[in-house]
Amino acid sequence: MEFFDEFPTMGRSDLRDLKKAIDGGFRSFSRAYGEGLENFFDPLLHFLVWFERLLTNTPWPIVLLVISGLVWLGSRSWVMVVGTLICFSVIGYLDMWEDTMATLAIVSVATAICILIGLPVGILMARSNKTQAAITPILDVMQTIPSFVYLIPVVMLLGIGKVPGLLAVCIYALPPMARLTNLGIRLVDKEVLEAATAFGADYRQKLFGVQIPLALPTIFAGVNQTIMMALSMVVIASLIGVAGLGVPVLRAVSNQYLALGLMNGLAIVALAIIFDRVSQRFGQRMQAHRDQGAGH
Amino acid sequence: MTNKRLLTLAAGAAALAFSASGAMAQDSCGSVSMAEFDWPSGELLANVDKIILEEGYGCDVQLVNGGTTTIFASMNEKGEPEVAGELWINAVRDLLEKGIDEGELKIVNDGPITGLGEGWWVTPKFAEEHPDLDTVEKLLEHPELFPYAEDESKGAFIGCPAGWGCQLINANMYRAFDMEEKGWELVDPGSAAGLDGSMAKAAERGEPWFGYYWAPTAMIGKYEMVLLPFEVDYAGDENWNGCIALAEQDCEDPQKTAWTKSEVRTVVTDEFAEKAGPAQDYLSKRIFPGEIMNKMLVYMQDEQASGEDAAYYFLENHEDIWTEWVSDEVVSKVKEEL
Repeated sequence: MEFFDEFPTMGRSDLRDLKKAIDGGFRSFSRAYGEGLENFFDPLLHFLVWFERLLTNTPWPIVLLVISGLVWLGSRSWVMVVGTLICFSVIGYLDMWEDTMATLAIVSVATAICILIGLPVGILMARSNKTQAAITPILDVMQTIPSFVYLIPVVMLLGIGKVPGLLAVCIYALPPMARLTNLGIRLVDKEVLEAATAFGADYRQKLFGVQIPLALPTIFAGVNQTIMMALSMVVIASLIGVAGLGVPVLRAVSNQYLALGLMNGLAIVALAIIFDRVSQRFGQRMQAHRDQGAGH
Repeated sequence: MTNKRLLTLAAGAAALAFSASGAMAQDSCGSVSMAEFDWPSGELLANVDKIILEEGYGCDVQLVNGGTTTIFASMNEKGEPEVAGELWINAVRDLLEKGIDEGELKIVNDGPITGLGEGWWVTPKFAEEHPDLDTVEKLLEHPELFPYAEDESKGAFIGCPAGWGCQLINANMYRAFDMEEKGWELVDPGSAAGLDGSMAKAAERGEPWFGYYWAPTAMIGKYEMVLLPFEVDYAGDENWNGCIALAEQDCEDPQKTAWTKSEVRTVVTDEFAEKAGPAQDYLSKRIFPGEIMNKMLVYMQDEQASGEDAAYYFLENHEDIWTEWVSDEVVSKVKEEL
């Protein structure tokens, strides 16, 4: 009867041995390769530190000017520029400037890395069903595994601070980029592709001349998703000592400081909205050019 | 065969009898919410209490997870949870005294664990290689020995995660010892996992590590970390409670001081004290010897035991200790459950 009442388990001690073996294995791996891995990521760390210093040490009017310039370049909209200026001024006035710059640095770098990796991965996935079937479960794991679970090995290997934090953010934020690139390319009309083939376009020409431009709206949706997820993950990354807006949010949660939590949380929202609107406008403009081209 | 069957029958009967008596006793103790502090000794202690109170005294225990400040604030303001088994009172001393004066809270145990200590620790390899730097003050002159990965010109001092009482203390001590001018960076590890991870990583690889921790803990026991004594004496309660332990803006001029003596209490709400007489006797009698606690913590880490697993292990393997805390009747009730 017992067999039916209780699910047969491996047994306490066997299970414990299994866990210990995995841990022991990882520990010796970390002892053997941890330092090497850390050195491998050194340039990234230096870049991150340099970038953050650049943002925090440059006089704030110049930073505001550059950000407005970038917003203008991306969106070509005065409303966006003014809105951004107001947001950043309020952030600075409420004494969140340095944390915001730290967050901005890590989110920008994380987004860039996610796009650099996610775009080719998405293209690869779109090329063959087998690749897609192989990569999708990996993306599922990356996106849904509770972040604490992979923060543990990351901290053992690389310690606390920016690099492990950046890795955590990238693991979480990369999947939508790959998924939506894949989806966008797959949704491109077969007849358009046949036409391109008929005109003698080779694979590269089809990819860059037809598929990617037509998939742009979906790809940009992926970029947006990645940015949003990177921003939300920055708060979790503060659990392993990443400086930025996440730290005060964490402090606010553990001490029940409502105002502190709300202000820093809203600063993250402001960053998210700015990032989102600018990248969307930028995407729309790129597609507007395409429509014009098609019209001629 | 028959023997075995008899045994099963007996056990079944005992379980029945027990659950009946448990249900009856529950009326006297009722449901109790207990803090399960989010560090291993806190988890173990809460689970040992839970098992003994449930099985031995018929309480119905819910564990509430949290850190010192969170739990204490909730206890003080809302009377929930009703029991904090391992409350490190240094961080909340003033509020606790106020709560006791007002009759809301009650200390039932002045030292549930012996042999405690907080302070600043270094890795054993470092202590061995630098026998001359054997006090905090001497070490503070050499930030270059602990290069900070994100700024190599500075020394990294790993502080305490946000939300723990010790975070404020470390930040004020950092100011009191002019550590910023001396070239130190106060690194926020972000969380308990971050703090442990950074220490474990350094100790496993033989790298230098200087930061805050407390004992008895598995981390200190396992890595044989070395506590650095201070050269200055303890500069008095006024400096500590009135400044060092407060938020930075409330502490204008922190004085150099040795670390205050760590004090842990078991605190209950007045309501619990009224309704749970015998259970409260247990709480006042249970004292974990520091050395046993250390062993238990290393066990928890080595075996990856949860607080609950470790509590059962403790009850099974350290009978000589816990049977001293409770009456024979309770001992037999709890033993039946094991």
